[in-house]
Amino acid sequence: MAESEPTPSSNPVLWVAKPLVTAARQFGKSLFRPSTIVYPFERLEDPKFRGAVRVAPGKPIGVGQVWDNYRGVHALNIDTCISCNLCAFSCPDLCIDMVTVPGGDPRHPKKCPQIDYGKCSYCGFCSDACPEGCLTMTTRYELSVSKRADMIYSPERLREVFNAKLPMSPIRVERPKNEDAILLDAPLCIGCNACARDCPTKCITMVDLPKPVPKGGEKLPKRIWKEPVVNDSDCVRCGTCISVCPKECLFWGTHR
Amino acid sequence: MSEMWINMGPQHPMTHGLWNLRVKIDGEIVLDVDPEMGYLHRGIEKISEDRHYNEIITLMDRTCYVAGIAWEHLFILAAEQALHVEPPERALWIRMLSEEFQRVASHLMWYAAFVQDIGLMSPFLYGMRDRDLVLDLFQSYTGGRLTYEYMRVGGVRNDLPPGFAEQARKVCDWLLDRFVEYDRLCSGSDIFHRRCDDLGVVKAQDCIRLGITGPMLRSAGVPRDLRKDRPYAAYDRVDFDVATAETADVTGRYVVRMEELRQSVRIIRQALDWLDKNPGPVMADNVPRWMGAPYAPVGREGYLLKREYPKGVGFSAIEEPHGEALAYVVNEGGEHPYRVKLKSPVFVNLSAARHYLVGYRVADIPPIMGSVDICVGEVDR
Repeated sequence: MAESEPTPSSNPVLWVAKPLVTAARQFGKSLFRPSTIVYPFERLEDPKFRGAVRVAPGKPIGVGQVWDNYRGVHALNIDTCISCNLCAFSCPDLCIDMVTVPGGDPRHPKKCPQIDYGKCSYCGFCSDACPEGCLTMTTRYELSVSKRADMIYSPERLREVFNAKLPMSPIRVERPKNEDAILLDAPLCIGCNACARDCPTKCITMVDLPKPVPKGGEKLPKRIWKEPVVNDSDCVRCGTCISVCPKECLFWGTHR
Repeated sequence: MSEMWINMGPQHPMTHGLWNLRVKIDGEIVLDVDPEMGYLHRGIEKISEDRHYNEIITLMDRTCYVAGIAWEHLFILAAEQALHVEPPERALWIRMLSEEFQRVASHLMWYAAFVQDIGLMSPFLYGMRDRDLVLDLFQSYTGGRLTYEYMRVGGVRNDLPPGFAEQARKVCDWLLDRFVEYDRLCSGSDIFHRRCDDLGVVKAQDCIRLGITGPMLRSAGVPRDLRKDRPYAAYDRVDFDVATAETADVTGRYVVRMEELRQSVRIIRQALDWLDKNPGPVMADNVPRWMGAPYAPVGREGYLLKREYPKGVGFSAIEEPHGEALAYVVNEGGEHPYRVKLKSPVFVNLSAARHYLVGYRVADIPPIMGSVDICVGEVDR
């Protein structure tokens, strides 16, 4: 069943010779056009490997090599981070912790992402989610460490990566035009100011409500006569206000 | 004669992954085989029930680690149906382009692994080298080389970068040259034919009865290709032929895959031409932001905030590099899918091992199993 009759016409010398000719041609080509680079003495991100397709003679094979939108180690610009938590929310591996960094208001400390690269899958969702563009992914790909604790990059270490001025992805993911907005269930609101206080972009303002005059024996609800108004153009949709609302009167909804 | 069962695997070069083939032999002749899968089960379907739709994409890349974008495409097609989202046309073409590039990369990976199974070393290096060109292209527009995380419900993450089409065309030209040399090394060689002809034969009737799909089915002469028979993305608007062979053996599968590589390059060129002429958005407008980008703001107690959206059921079937893959997504109105079911083509092809291994010799098992193109990640899921 498995045996097949050898073709009588073919010459056994040709069986070996024909593939060898192809292999020899490949060998000859590889002398002028290497397939590999001498890492770590040469690196893919070196300027000479960037740019066009390397199928020309004298250059190693490859396509533009490490392009700028490679997803490697993150870079964090702490100064522009607004502590909106969106990177931590969007992380499918839960590898981002928001940790306190110095320089914030003592009552509301500034929190920036700390990334555990032992868990990170480099999906890039965090940098896609970042509304300020301060958390980006760089072309750095060398991560080996000798201690497991070194896999955790604190905000300061991520800032060092940022300060190294590595090439960063030019791609910015477009925001969908039809965004959910923060809506208010007005009768539940007690005007406590928690949402406006914690809003990272300060896009919530508390406006005064006219205090109604009680009619007859009607009892007015105990509340501060203020109501949050969200400035939709500044809102980054982080949901912090929804999280802090004590009466759960803020919710996501389609825009009015 | 003395009969005995031996284990080929789970740590055996033949297995290309983590599975076990129990073989009952009498001397050199295989009397019975019993494939055992499940060593790489990660519960992807179950984890998907606890994840946001866009977060599942990260799992789909890991379902089949040599054809990640094909599985992303499969899931996204089903998820869009379940969520009633219509992607823009340009996104469809970019997805088709990505899937064809993935098919080229996957088949080159198969070529590299398969030729090593039949004892050739140089073609292995050639195949891996040329696959790297495709991975470089992937890296240039998705940002990843193996796990792409590129597709989103309602479109794709980003448009192709400037200069991509030019580079991709150069790679296509380069690859077509290479395919000629592959054929010189393998199908043009008498040694290859002596090794692989009439090996692992499954006739068309048996293939259909067993549910075998993909290049294995087409090598038996059945022109079954979901890209033609049930067009998705933009496959109904490109010209290509379904590669078939008549021999139904290992050589036939080789011939089919080599022809598919050429047809993929043909589709890629048409897609690049179309994408040059038709700029436009790559993300649907009517997608809520949390679905377009992977946002899942948590509530006060740490649970996900509930948001309303229409219920639905999605089913998709694509011609994955290994065969026909199916996905079924049920959306019950929550933040997560209620159920995700994936059907892997390799699982079916592998389960039928008894029908193409029995009667051959033990030394024939590696070439036959190599020609099946095994990806254990998608077998066990």
